[in-house]
Amino acid sequence: MKTNDAIGKSIPRIGAIERLLGKALFSADMELDHAMVLKVLPSDRDHARIVKVDTTDAVRVAGVVRIFTAEDIPGENITGIINKDRPLLAENKVRSRGDAVALVAAENTRFAEEALNKIRVTYEDLPSVHDPEEALKPDAPKVHEKGNLLFTRKIKKGNPGKTFEQCAVVVEKTYETSFLEHSYLEPDAGAGYVAPDGQLVIMASTQNPHYDHSEVVSLLGVPEDRVRIIQAATGGGFGSKLDLNVQGFIGLALYHLKRPVACVFTREESFRMTAKRHPLKMTLKTGADKNGRLMAMTARMICDTGAYASYGLAVASRAPVHATGPYEMDHVDVEALCVYTNNPFAGAMRGFGVPQAAFAHESQMDLLAKALHMGPLEIRKRNALKSGSQTATRQLLQESVGIQECLQAVEPHYEKALKDWVPLESDPSKQRGVGVGAMWYGIGNTGVRNPSTAHMEMDPEGALTLYTGCADIGQGSTTVLTQIAAQVLGVSPENLQTVVGDTAQTSNAGATSASRQTYISGNAVKDAAQKLADMLLTEGVDLLKCPKTDMVLTGGYVVDEKDTERRVSFSKIAARAVKRGIPLRWQGYFDPPTVPLDPETGEGAPYAAYAYACHVALVTVDVLTGEVTVNKVIAAHDVGRAIHPESVAGQIGGGVAMGVGFAVMEEYDPSTTESMKDYHIPTCSDMPEIVPIIVESPEPTGPFGAKGVGEPALIPTAPAIINGITNAIGKRIYHLPANLERVLEASIQSGKFSLKEVA
Amino acid sequence: MKTYSVLPIQFTLNGEKTMVYVGAHETALHVIRERLSLKGTKEGCGMGECGACTIMVDGKSVNACLMAAPQLDGRKVMTVEGLGNEENLHPLQEALLDHHGVQCGFCTPGLLMSAQALIEGTPRPTHQQVVESISGNLCRCTGYQQIVTGIENVAKKGAGEA
Amino acid sequence: MTETTYARPETLDEALLFLKHHGADTRPLAGGTDVMVDLRSGKLKTSYLLDISRLPELQGIALWEEGLSIGAGVTISEIYASPLVREHAPSMLKACAFFGSPQIRNVATIGGNVGNASPSADTAPSLLVHETKAVLAGFSGERTVGVEDLFDGPYQSGIGPDELILRFMLAPARGRFSDFQKIGRRKALAISRMSMAILAEQAKDETFRFIRLALGSATPTPMRMRTVESFLMGKRPDRKTLKEGARLMAEEMVRITGRRPSTVYKEKAVQGLFLRMLYPLLENGAV
Repeated sequence: MKTNDAIGKSIPRIGAIERLLGKALFSADMELDHAMVLKVLPSDRDHARIVKVDTTDAVRVAGVVRIFTAEDIPGENITGIINKDRPLLAENKVRSRGDAVALVAAENTRFAEEALNKIRVTYEDLPSVHDPEEALKPDAPKVHEKGNLLFTRKIKKGNPGKTFEQCAVVVEKTYETSFLEHSYLEPDAGAGYVAPDGQLVIMASTQNPHYDHSEVVSLLGVPEDRVRIIQAATGGGFGSKLDLNVQGFIGLALYHLKRPVACVFTREESFRMTAKRHPLKMTLKTGADKNGRLMAMTARMICDTGAYASYGLAVASRAPVHATGPYEMDHVDVEALCVYTNNPFAGAMRGFGVPQAAFAHESQMDLLAKALHMGPLEIRKRNALKSGSQTATRQLLQESVGIQECLQAVEPHYEKALKDWVPLESDPSKQRGVGVGAMWYGIGNTGVRNPSTAHMEMDPEGALTLYTGCADIGQGSTTVLTQIAAQVLGVSPENLQTVVGDTAQTSNAGATSASRQTYISGNAVKDAAQKLADMLLTEGVDLLKCPKTDMVLTGGYVVDEKDTERRVSFSKIAARAVKRGIPLRWQGYFDPPTVPLDPETGEGAPYAAYAYACHVALVTVDVLTGEVTVNKVIAAHDVGRAIHPESVAGQIGGGVAMGVGFAVMEEYDPSTTESMKDYHIPTCSDMPEIVPIIVESPEPTGPFGAKGVGEPALIPTAPAIINGITNAIGKRIYHLPANLERVLEASIQSGKFSLKEVA
Repeated sequence: MKTYSVLPIQFTLNGEKTMVYVGAHETALHVIRERLSLKGTKEGCGMGECGACTIMVDGKSVNACLMAAPQLDGRKVMTVEGLGNEENLHPLQEALLDHHGVQCGFCTPGLLMSAQALIEGTPRPTHQQVVESISGNLCRCTGYQQIVTGIENVAKKGAGEA
Repeated sequence: MTETTYARPETLDEALLFLKHHGADTRPLAGGTDVMVDLRSGKLKTSYLLDISRLPELQGIALWEEGLSIGAGVTISEIYASPLVREHAPSMLKACAFFGSPQIRNVATIGGNVGNASPSADTAPSLLVHETKAVLAGFSGERTVGVEDLFDGPYQSGIGPDELILRFMLAPARGRFSDFQKIGRRKALAISRMSMAILAEQAKDETFRFIRLALGSATPTPMRMRTVESFLMGKRPDRKTLKEGARLMAEEMVRITGRRPSTVYKEKAVQGLFLRMLYPLLENGAV
């Protein structure tokens, strides 16, 4: 019997102390000898043919070493995490103002910027398209040769059309969201040098070092061992550091110039040249019977993926797959189109289309509830998925379906807020409201293989090291994975070394995205640790003359449970193994069992596990100015098992913050948003009080029952806030963000725009 | 009156007298990071909108990216490197560690300096004052709650010992 | 490309002498929160940065016979902490409370805020309702200008190239009703979408016998809303009057700015802000 010593404990986070001391090495902190500076020249057109790139004046600037264009790329000048459609440097045309046209290498930033200003690009403007519905028209300008419709996802089950006729109430509305910017605090950055053996070593702020490696190898046309990618301390990513941002430029410069180099984006460059969140336009039609049972839904969604695909396919798959919300529904017809435009490219951003879809499906739920005179929690509880439910993709949900528990967990808070908080508003310009938002979120990539690997090593003295390619970008994966390994091996997490995110030492763990690392890398790590544990126990059988089942691993020893004095140390076993030539390395692997989605019906098993959550938001609306204050958010999350509860709470906190931003203040306008002065994320003063509630509905296929929380943390917040605003002022907003202008307009239309009569 | 493109300045940095040549409008951030090789202070936006570059000058929190380095002359400056070290964490560093207020860590140094400026100037801050003291430090990872709790705990302890 | 050089005068006279010779190529540097941003973006190109942040003649807050004097070099934080400002210009205190961020307040100066002449200058509405005069100094002498007249246009200041603002003279509030409020997209680090300041006094019959109203971030320069002030004088602040006053605010604002994309929102928000600000007077008296 093992006690749960490491799981469920909020141990000190690995890496926190370096960060608190300011000693963690982020890419821009690296001091390389005589490093050159790289600066990218972006396109200044939305859509244009490149006639000529004239660098004659630019190369003459003192301190400029070299200026690269597409012809300098020795390998394949094409990148893309799902679809390969994005050149590193533009070849004959540019498709957005974020496209990279040339790369300057200079002795310092000043020279590089001077050179940038002297590069003369001759463009031949092409007509551009900025609306995805316009882009779908037959005569629309083609962003890519193959046409503007990148991808369609269909989910079809039953017969919604006919079923609507039997519904007591049918609601049809259109919902829209905007481009958003990740706005991680560390702008994209990297540095590199050439090792004595000629290997190109690139350190970068990244969410997926192994993917970066494969792209750079392909761009440079070199053997795999010629490139090494090391994940530097990474200051947040939220999906934008999954695409190649600086790594390709650094690789190109190293390949040609063989000198150390740094590439650090300014905030403006990060805003201009990296991925955004997809704007979605979604029309949902949902029908329910007189008891509030959901019966049918149709939806049409259009995703603007901008100039390049990036994760467009994933977003255009996730949004329709999750469109029903965490509810049972027999008749579903959802279609999502992913469309190219000449807007900045949209890619992965925390939630992959589900935050947008949840805004829609949760608004629909409240509209239905209102029409049926039901409470918002009541209608959700009535329809909540459970063990045995079949989803819209006809997947049978088996265990760990914690949505009902989440709804029940928030209910007392909801009731109390309605009764004791809402009526107490005494300010004549304010109205209070309480809103509910629920969600489900599949863990891992949608219906495709997305394995993770890891390995453990033991040195001749018995010291243990965990090797994982899993990029920790602040969410705390290194600590969680260490806890998992430590638990299996019966050691304290402090006694485990970790090597993280270095392609020379670790193996591919897949991307830190899709909330997949605790679940998938956690299982891979558990697999590796269990193989090591098995070897230790097997040796213990030999040394202690004891059956495996009678032994446990504790504190670095294999111990006979029946007589705990009888024990043998890991170090002794290691020494013995070395003598006998046993390799001290154990490889772990996990790929969630999924079934690809049928292209016509969407039938399949897109994920092996789902997270569920419900948020309740208490909001105050100033009906005279449109200002919204989010006072409190109660957030109940079914995470399967909280391996590190404070990290779960931290993810919920950050997710709620992002949800507040998504709901009321964040909007990236491609034509005007340049930097943080134009783009607002919540400050500490904007934050509600957060009450996180961890619900544990153990997932049998997860490591110690764990699932994930990274993206779920943010998904229910905006829906709850929007529903809260609706309840406060009696008018619904269908376009995010619910900014000053939209909220004031709603207040005026609802007749609330005046000073209340206050008793 | 002399005008300078480059000039020597002298100031106290983390308790040590420091002399360095700086450019006319080189930022304090650039001097600290590039000339003095102290990398703890970060550049998040370069325009005073994020607080990642917060340092303390004569006890007040300021954005190093907005301060012309010549203005550091004669001042008492503190960066995160002056707060604590591996053997001796500063109480604020202990608090953020204990309360799990560090995720990606990029905003952390600036945040610590704002918190230190608060504790030095306002020994018994209210919750509202704690929130306001870090309202100029953006964090995209944590949602701030664990950070505020950490700072409040330090303030309480400090007040208890007073 | 002109290289920017730095100079730090020890006294006001030194500074003014420098400006006499080089004023056209000089930008005064105090807190740097506007200057450094503009230097970085290239919006500002200047030969000289004149560091006036330590000039003793620009410091200090004092109550004089002529009024409340605030040195141009006083920081926003210092204003916020000042008991004299709390007593004699409480709306200024409010304006300073949510200005930028703590880091910005610690170095930004009231002189810099006015000198930058942004339509959204947060100190402006409060200065206007206190009928503030700016005392400007040049090598040849001083002159006094109403702060409202120092804003020539968006980011266009009436300060001469060879001049510095010395101090601001505010007419004290004398216990009158006063307030400053702003609408922002978030609660800190937010440029005002709209701001308003008021200073008012009612007679025993509750009619206004003194009223000053100023609007910020809504017109090309911050301004007193004199049409609305005239309307309100002699009237009791009942619901009907406030509603009409609000309507006049909007009408006057649109008359000045014309119809722009932001007018859809601002036309309503200015009325909303007006009602919100004057509500306390409604409560106290008429219904």
